[in-house]
Amino acid sequence: MTLLLSTLYLLATIDATLSGYSAAAGRSALIRKGPHFRTAMLRGFVLGQIAAAISLSLLFAVLNAAPDRAVFRADLLRVWMRMLQIYLPYALTILTAFGFRLIPSVDVRCLTSTLVFGPLAGIRPLVGILGLVWGVLAAPRPEIVAGGSAILILWLLIEWILGTSYRTSESTGLRSER
Amino acid sequence: MNDLEISDEILSFDPDTLQRLPVRKSAVLEKFSANRRATRIVRAMADRDDVLDPDAVDRRLIRVHCEMQRISEEFQHGHRVAELLRPLLAALRTAGVVRPIRIVDVGCGTGFVLRWLAAHGDLGGDVELVGADYHPALVGEAMRLAKQEDLRVTFRVANAFRLDPPGSMYLSTGVIHHFRGKALPAFFRSHDREETKAFVHFDFLPSPMAPFGSWLFHAVRMRDPLAKHDGVVSAIRAYSGAELLRAAGDGAPGFVRAMYGTRLGVLPIPRAFHSLVGLRPEYREAFVRALESRRSRLGEWA
Repeated sequence: MTLLLSTLYLLATIDATLSGYSAAAGRSALIRKGPHFRTAMLRGFVLGQIAAAISLSLLFAVLNAAPDRAVFRADLLRVWMRMLQIYLPYALTILTAFGFRLIPSVDVRCLTSTLVFGPLAGIRPLVGILGLVWGVLAAPRPEIVAGGSAILILWLLIEWILGTSYRTSESTGLRSER
Repeated sequence: MNDLEISDEILSFDPDTLQRLPVRKSAVLEKFSANRRATRIVRAMADRDDVLDPDAVDRRLIRVHCEMQRISEEFQHGHRVAELLRPLLAALRTAGVVRPIRIVDVGCGTGFVLRWLAAHGDLGGDVELVGADYHPALVGEAMRLAKQEDLRVTFRVANAFRLDPPGSMYLSTGVIHHFRGKALPAFFRSHDREETKAFVHFDFLPSPMAPFGSWLFHAVRMRDPLAKHDGVVSAIRAYSGAELLRAAGDGAPGFVRAMYGTRLGVLPIPRAFHSLVGLRPEYREAFVRALESRRSRLGEWA
C-alpha cells in the first residue's frame, strides 16, 4: 500500500509542479524567465502538497468509516494499481520527452513539442478521467467513485487555481473591456 | 471572409503618417458576419459609440503577443533565427559590408525575436538590431521589456522600409502572410535598395497537417480567444515556398532567393516554420559555405 500510495503521490507532486509552470507560461514576455518559472513551480509544488494533504485526509476518513476495512483496503489497492497502469506510461512519456529536450537541437526540441508535450497536454484531463474510470472498474464501490472523483477534480483544478493571481492582474488591465 | 485575422481588422493606421485611425466595430462585425466565432470575439470588445476602444485593443494585443511569444519560445524560434542569421552575417562580413550591419525586424510586435537575439544570439558587436512596427503600444511594450533586461536593441514606431539609414538585412516572423495579392510583391519591392544586402522571412509552413497542428497548439497553449482564432487562420493563410519565391522574384529581382528549412532532415515530416532567404548574388557563395552542415536545408536558388 505504501509503495502504491507513494508512487501516486510522486506523480501528483510532479503534475502539480508542472501545473505551476503551465499556469505561468505565456504570462511574462521577458526573455530571461528563470525566476518567473521557479516561483511558479514552487507555488505549484506547495499547492500540490496542500491538495495531497486534503486527498489523504479524505482517503483516511473514508477508510476509517468503512465497515469492512480490510476488504476496502484490498479494493483500494486494486484501484490504485490499475490507475497507475494509465498514469505511469503517460508520466514516463513526458519525462522521457524532457530528456530529449536536453539535446541542444532545435529540431529535436521542436519534435518533443509537436509529438509529445502539445498532444499530451491536450489530453491531460482525459487521461485523468480515464485513469480513474479504469481504476474504479476494479472495485466500483460508491465511496471509491465519489472520493476518487472529488480528488481528481481537485487535481484538475490546480492549474486553474494557480492561474487566478495572473488572471486577477490581467483583469485589472482589461476591466474597461467588459 | 473566413480567413481574415481579427487582429488585422481591429487596427488601422495611415500608412504615410502612421496615425491611428478609428475602427468601427460594426464594420468589423460585418467583415466577420460569416464567422460566428470571430463575431463573438469582436462583439465582446469594448467600444465607444461604435468605435473600438483603442486602449482596450492595445492591452488585448499586448497580451496576445505575450501568448504568441510562448509558442515561439517552445518552438525555439530564437535559436532558429540565430542559426540562419549567423551564416548570413558571416557572408556579409567576408565581403566587407559597411558596419554596423543593421538588422531590421519588420512588424516586430513586442520584439521577441530581437530581444532574444540581443540576449542570446551572440551575433557580434558590429550588428545593430532595430525593430519597427506601426503599433505604438506594441513598440512601447518592446522598449519597456528591452529596458528591463538591459538589452542592446532599439524599437521604432515606423515603416521598416523608411528607416534612415535603411537595414542591411530585413527579417520578419509571421508577417508575410498578412500581405495578400499584389501587396506581397510590393512588400518585396521595398527591400530592393542598394544598402540592403539580404532578407530572411519566417512564416508558417503550409502542409496538410498545419491547420490541425496549429489548432491543437493554440487550443492547448493559448488562453485568449483572439489569439486562438488568429493563430489557426495564420496557418491556413500561410504561403507555400513556391508562392513566396515567385512573389519575391517579381518584387525584388535583384536578390537570389531560396527556401530554407522545409523538411526535418531526410524525414518526410514538415517543419512548423519555413523561411525565405534572399541575398545579393555576390554573397551567395560565402553564405552557402558558412552554412556548413546545414547546407542540405537550403532549397534550390531562384
